[in-house]
Amino acid sequence: MATKVVVDLRSDTVTKPSEAMRASMAAADVDDDVRGADPTARRFQEEMAALMGKEAALFVPSGTMGNLVSVLAHCDVRGSEVILGDDSHIHLYENGGISTLGGVHPKTVRNNSDGTMDIDSIVAAIRPPGGGLYYPTTRLICLENTHGNSGGKCLSAEYTEKVGEIAKSHGLKLHIDGARIFNASVALGVPVDRLVRAADSVSVCISKGLGAPVGSVIVGSKAFIDKAKILRKTLGGGMRQVGVLCAAAHVAVRDNVGKLADDHRKAKALADGLNKIEQFRVDSASVQTNMVFLDIVDSRISSNKLCQVLGTHNVLASPRSPKRLVLHYQISDDDVQYALTCFKKAAEQLLMGSTELEHLAEQLLMGTTKNSYGQ
Amino acid sequence: MASKVVDLRSDTVTKPSEAMRAAMAAADVDDDVLGADPTAHRFEAEMAAVMGKEAALFVPSGTMGNLISVLVHCDVRGSEAILGDNSHIHVYENGGISTIGGVHPRTVKNNPDGTMDIDKIVAAIRHPDLHYPTTRLICLENTHGNTGGKCLSVEYTDKVGEIAKSHGLKLHIDGARIFNASVALGVPVDRLVKAADSVSVCLSKGLGAPVGSVIVGSKAFIDKARILRKTLGGGMRQVGVLCAAAHVAVRDTMGKLADDHRKAKALAVGLKKIEQITVDPASVETNMVFFEVMDPRISPDKLCQVLEQHNVLAMPANSKSIRFVVHYQISDADVRYALACVQKAIKELLEGSTELGHSINGATKSSYGH
Repeated sequence: MATKVVVDLRSDTVTKPSEAMRASMAAADVDDDVRGADPTARRFQEEMAALMGKEAALFVPSGTMGNLVSVLAHCDVRGSEVILGDDSHIHLYENGGISTLGGVHPKTVRNNSDGTMDIDSIVAAIRPPGGGLYYPTTRLICLENTHGNSGGKCLSAEYTEKVGEIAKSHGLKLHIDGARIFNASVALGVPVDRLVRAADSVSVCISKGLGAPVGSVIVGSKAFIDKAKILRKTLGGGMRQVGVLCAAAHVAVRDNVGKLADDHRKAKALADGLNKIEQFRVDSASVQTNMVFLDIVDSRISSNKLCQVLGTHNVLASPRSPKRLVLHYQISDDDVQYALTCFKKAAEQLLMGSTELEHLAEQLLMGTTKNSYGQ
Repeated sequence: MASKVVDLRSDTVTKPSEAMRAAMAAADVDDDVLGADPTAHRFEAEMAAVMGKEAALFVPSGTMGNLISVLVHCDVRGSEAILGDNSHIHVYENGGISTIGGVHPRTVKNNPDGTMDIDKIVAAIRHPDLHYPTTRLICLENTHGNTGGKCLSVEYTDKVGEIAKSHGLKLHIDGARIFNASVALGVPVDRLVKAADSVSVCLSKGLGAPVGSVIVGSKAFIDKARILRKTLGGGMRQVGVLCAAAHVAVRDTMGKLADDHRKAKALAVGLKKIEQITVDPASVETNMVFFEVMDPRISPDKLCQVLEQHNVLAMPANSKSIRFVVHYQISDADVRYALACVQKAIKELLEGSTELGHSINGATKSSYGH
């Protein structure tokens, strides 16, 4: 191994701020955003609203808060229910906050392997109005685009609009967890505002593939964002001179949306390369954006052990099964090639049953083998 | 008239210094949700040590600091928290402990010195009963904002801590301005909060960081707090960029708080010389001055509007008084300028010689407790 560079394939949340972002943070024109006075925050929020084709936007510390605020703003009457995927991030990886903190009841619908939920299953999940004595009131449908757990799959504009029509005809709102909506937009070749047109609100992450250090943005109508602002304060997300973060976020959108297509290309290259290794299999056709799900077809190789051995070669992956590898702009083509040689080497080492790895594994367990928790 | 704006609305308006900006740009960062940001780790360890507690957690705001603390201490449904009827948590945090956390508040009257009577606190503690929620927590606020930035003494804090302990309750201190209290009292901050199970400390007020607060407490408490922070949506990624600035704030600005107190006193003394104003300089303990205008022709709103025309920003504290808050970005010259403007503004209002236009920048909203 020639270099000490670490190839971190655990998630696109690990992206570090670029020089341009750091410079913009240091130079940001700021003021007290809780008083609505931070010019950089205002400018960035206006930019994001325009980009997403919505009336207004609100910067929040995380995607979790973006989704939580959105669900709670749409479901502000006690006794509300929200329809969402059984394999969705909101349902699995956000601490059940919509219920534990927001008092909103979830009604899950099975996620297909392409990230969608069947339209007729969604309709069947809507509580009949007038069944009031036993039922909560459905107020909201949530989609996730790209859909993480199914491998970064894109929901098409047509599917999104269909769900939007269902929502509208039943008097429901539609929220899109668009943490990686730009990946979907780029992969589908659909402008992002067109892609989310049917949604009442969208939560977009700036800190993942776009690379900003912190934050997400919620977009929606002015009335929705006015409510969201109060909820954000209530949850504790009202930050003061937050323009320092918005400055970096602006740079992220400006500089890195254009690099997402490359991440998708690298993901495909990684998938193809892994398929050439006998012990692994990837469904290449299902690699739509920046994620690769890897199946280990040789039962002598465990996901955990593979993780540990890769770690000794400075390739970081999450130990979950099926193993998910995530590309971002700070992973170069050379890194992809390097990772592939390490996967090959790791498979060989594990098949030879090398026991000295046990000792190394103990040391590595500390840093690199936490669960990915859906990030 | 100087073109500079003298902003006395709050110490939340402090802008990041050059040193903070440089620290943010150079920060060594990583994914803090994965527990990997070295700058966040370092800063949290530093704050825990400064406050004399086992562990610390960086959060985006004081509101989240208090909300997490109350919810962690009161994680069993049916809980009640005792706190001041004029406390920030009760008045200015959107009722979040209840609307979001399901915790019931039991208020006790705040005295003008920021304390609650000990016997009233004890009387507010529920005994087990079919009709009652379960008291789990007492909250203090130090310095106490709405009474004018008043300091709770270490003796009083210890006494409340004893009450809490003997009744099996926890004690949380909303220490947004705890360093102001420590400096004004001449008591080391760790001694001042020794009786508390948790403290929420603001970095973004007088200390001047752009964003954030820190919660401190036991390791077990902070472990729970971290999960609640994630649940509320406060889990930030490369948050070391903010912790770097916060570290500089603690390092560089703590030593300037005594000066803020001196300037606040000077403001109060100067205001007292103005005939129409009632103010008690002796009640100025830290960086806040509350004063009243005794002439019925001059309302706090009107005075603030006219002051704004002179580039002095202030907010009414209520229908009768105005609050001035001093911070390190207000100079001695600014203080003198502000006093001259107050004098001028009152004169203008009495002579009816000023146009009261629509206020800009929201300078005449209520203070909302910041």
